[in-house]
Amino acid sequence: MRKAMVLFVGLLASTAFASGASTGEKEDVAGYILHHVADASEYELESPFSAEHKAIHLPQMAIPFKAGACEPAHVAEDGHKVFPPLSAGCLDISITKHTVMMWLAALLLIGSLLAFSNRDKSKMVPRGVGANMFEMLILFVRDELAIKNIGKEEGPRYVPYLLTAFFFILFMNLLGLVPWMATATGNLAITAGLAICTFVVTQAAGIRAAGVGGYLAHLTGGVHWALWPIMVPVEILGLFTKPFALTVRLFANMLAGHIVIFFLLGLIFILENLAVAAVSVPFALGIYMLELFVAFVQAYVFTMLSALFIGMSVAMGHHHHDEHAEGGAGHDGHGKAHPVGS
Amino acid sequence: MLLPNVLAASSFVEVRPGLIFWTIVTFVIVLIVLRKAAWGPILSLVEEREKQIASSIEAAKRERAEAEKLLADQKTAIAEARREAQEMLRRNQQEVEKFREELMAKSRKEAEEFKATAQREIEEQKAKAVAEVKAMAVDLAMEVAGKLINERMDEPKHRALAEQFVQSLPAKGATERRAS
Repeated sequence: MRKAMVLFVGLLASTAFASGASTGEKEDVAGYILHHVADASEYELESPFSAEHKAIHLPQMAIPFKAGACEPAHVAEDGHKVFPPLSAGCLDISITKHTVMMWLAALLLIGSLLAFSNRDKSKMVPRGVGANMFEMLILFVRDELAIKNIGKEEGPRYVPYLLTAFFFILFMNLLGLVPWMATATGNLAITAGLAICTFVVTQAAGIRAAGVGGYLAHLTGGVHWALWPIMVPVEILGLFTKPFALTVRLFANMLAGHIVIFFLLGLIFILENLAVAAVSVPFALGIYMLELFVAFVQAYVFTMLSALFIGMSVAMGHHHHDEHAEGGAGHDGHGKAHPVGS
Repeated sequence: MLLPNVLAASSFVEVRPGLIFWTIVTFVIVLIVLRKAAWGPILSLVEEREKQIASSIEAAKRERAEAEKLLADQKTAIAEARREAQEMLRRNQQEVEKFREELMAKSRKEAEEFKATAQREIEEQKAKAVAEVKAMAVDLAMEVAGKLINERMDEPKHRALAEQFVQSLPAKGATERRAS
């Protein structure tokens, strides 16, 4: 993002910058940080050592679900439109800073994979840093995440999904560490979108493994029918807590590191002392290195948990066959709920 | 504090449905593109390589076992050949020994026979020589006696006398034949 820039500014901050001490300035630091980690409808291109901001206004658009639903509620002086909310039947699909970053990450991912990975069958041995690194990560996702969590039979089916999730998140995370770029994964909507993908794949895996009947039967938790009114909502809630956890974990982890870096550098301005830079800049650099590590770890965690959830869904299907075989005789109500399971 | 106000006003906790939409669209497109262009080829390549490595190891193991078997066969064959050669040598030696003995016996027998023949020949020659010597002795004696008695005795008397004398000699030879 703008870490490198802020770092330079922090190191070479003029006395004029530091002497402008007021409560307004302190509040400004927090505002500055939150503004920069948040999404925006324009892409701001800051140039170092100057207060000049070049803002690129990104196109705004909306999908109306009924005619005239997307009439802008009001238009700002700079032409920024505010569309009505989704509840009013309007889906605001305006391009934002994070959307651009996500697309950039997607293009970089596809481009680097096509450019550096070894896909030539006549060359069985991978050569070069790119081919080896990609293959190492791909094999890691396949063997350590997919096969270990989902199983040898069903695992390979979900490898492309897990690979895409892993690399897509990794590229978005890493892109956020480049100056002038933004962390797309530090946005709740984007992590939610990714979690929804995992949710859909997980449910599809469950239905595929257990059948529609088995899948629905699983929602009852295998208890007596009298307990269903309690059990079904709990199980359904359980379905949604998993993607929710995925969403918040990735979002919070990616956001937190960036905010910490910003605050460490912001200390220079809050304490109005250039000497603070001697401490805060190395600390910020340390956190930056940690962030590099976290970028990989969070991509790994998201993928690992996705694989785990898919594995649980797949196993649910297999378990139900056994459970049904022994439990079906005992509980009539239970047995009826598994027409496809057997 | 102002911070809570800033937090509340800030858009970073806001979840925009439009962005969720874009995320899912982008993700699905990336998934489809990469699945076709990258994951498929890379994974099949990796699988092929794994298979190749596994089969290579398997083949190497098999070949090694085969080579070991061949080596063992070779070793037993060599041992067998050596044993056979030894056997043959032993047999040959025996044969040679036997042949030599036979040859020796034969030559000894031949020598024996030759010796016997020679002895017989010698005996014969000796007897002949003795007879000749006797005849010559009779003639000589007659001549000597004739000269001595100056032919005072007549031929038949002398002859009988000489023969009588010769008869008295130890060996009886073919004097009659010599005398005639």
